[in-house]
Amino acid sequence: MTFESAGRSLADFTVELDVYSGPYEWLLALILKDELEIFEVPLRELVGLYAGSRDPESPNALDRDTDFAGSAAALILLKSRTLSPAVEPEADGEDAVAASPEELAERLQEYLKVRRAAEDLRGRFARAAGHYPSAHVVPPKPGRLRVAEDRVALAARRTFSRLLEPPVRHLGPITVTVQELVGLIRASLLRGPVSFEDLTRNMDRLRSAVAFAAALSLAQEGGVRLLQPEPLGALTLELVEPPR
Amino acid sequence: MSERAPAPEHLLEAVLLVSARPIRPADLASATGLPPEAVETALANLSERYSPETSGVVLRAVAGGYLFSTNPACSVAVERFREEARPAPLSGAAHEVLACALYLGPLTRGAVSRVRGVNSDAVVRNLLERNLLAEAGADRDAPGAPALLAVTDEFLAATDVASREDFPPLDSLVSREELDRVRERLTSPEATSEAPAGPETT
Repeated sequence: MTFESAGRSLADFTVELDVYSGPYEWLLALILKDELEIFEVPLRELVGLYAGSRDPESPNALDRDTDFAGSAAALILLKSRTLSPAVEPEADGEDAVAASPEELAERLQEYLKVRRAAEDLRGRFARAAGHYPSAHVVPPKPGRLRVAEDRVALAARRTFSRLLEPPVRHLGPITVTVQELVGLIRASLLRGPVSFEDLTRNMDRLRSAVAFAAALSLAQEGGVRLLQPEPLGALTLELVEPPR
Repeated sequence: MSERAPAPEHLLEAVLLVSARPIRPADLASATGLPPEAVETALANLSERYSPETSGVVLRAVAGGYLFSTNPACSVAVERFREEARPAPLSGAAHEVLACALYLGPLTRGAVSRVRGVNSDAVVRNLLERNLLAEAGADRDAPGAPALLAVTDEFLAATDVASREDFPPLDSLVSREELDRVRERLTSPEATSEAPAGPETT
């Protein structure tokens, strides 16, 4: 899923939501980077904001509407997927069996209690808002710092523990290497600058990802320059002439 | 000429004034050199003096200690002076995650997501940044020993309670009839084809 078409015509569209305030494009970027949960974004409000900002007389009104409809549809799809129950594979590798109505009822009852507790908390937070404590902050004295044992143990565990490897069973065999795509990029650049979109037009997702890694690798070596005039905008690759 | 020793209330006022966090009575006794009984009496007097009805500063018993705060009735003036708006209220999802940690915790991120039925990592991250949640140990029985999440003293202060025991029991928040209705909706033969209601979207 991409929001690639929403890069230009919506550049001047800004939104004011409880969870976010700023350019719409950045909102999309935050959602894609998991910095903002799609669940938190009120899509209906978003559509209302766009409808309110719309100028039908604008020369690029159609482009804007199309871009917004495309990105909004992607957001709806993403949100609907997020709201779908996650399938948790069983330890033996088989897919989880559907929960029985009794199990579902228990889970829903527990969720209902949590939901009520959340409503109770909302009221408590609202009633306690407006209490500001002393602004005086005493700087800690280095010689008297207290170190909590459990926090030290937690930090050590994080430092030395091995991260869980993500499951990769759903991925097919990797049949392409960074070196191959480095060669392809170099060959394409002999004819002049090339956009990443054109470069990966006929590639599948895996090859596109490896092509991106190859482009980054070339850029790091200094053989290629990556140009992206604006966040989420088109990415262009350009050969760097070696110094004479 | 010898100086008169400050009254216990004055000592406590001075110490409480410079703290941005709740101070436990034992720490107040230790800082002021007063016996615990004198601290208790002085705190009772101060609570009366610094009540919302009589002062712009209030003494709150929160998170196991005592804290001087501004009176919420004066918050507009404080916010204008500090040139900052009141922090945006938490979202519904954030309240649910906090409720999970408060009543079912300490629990892992995965457990929070299982209870809510949706991935909650972004909400948890936000709450950790706001110091309302904290990692409190690890679930050593689970693969990878994921961190356990618990509510913090800042959470207790933000909800204006002295301790976790001040919250109503979880089971008291939903009536038996309501729970039975949920079970009936899902287990009755004609309801088997209906999808259960999930978290509301905003």
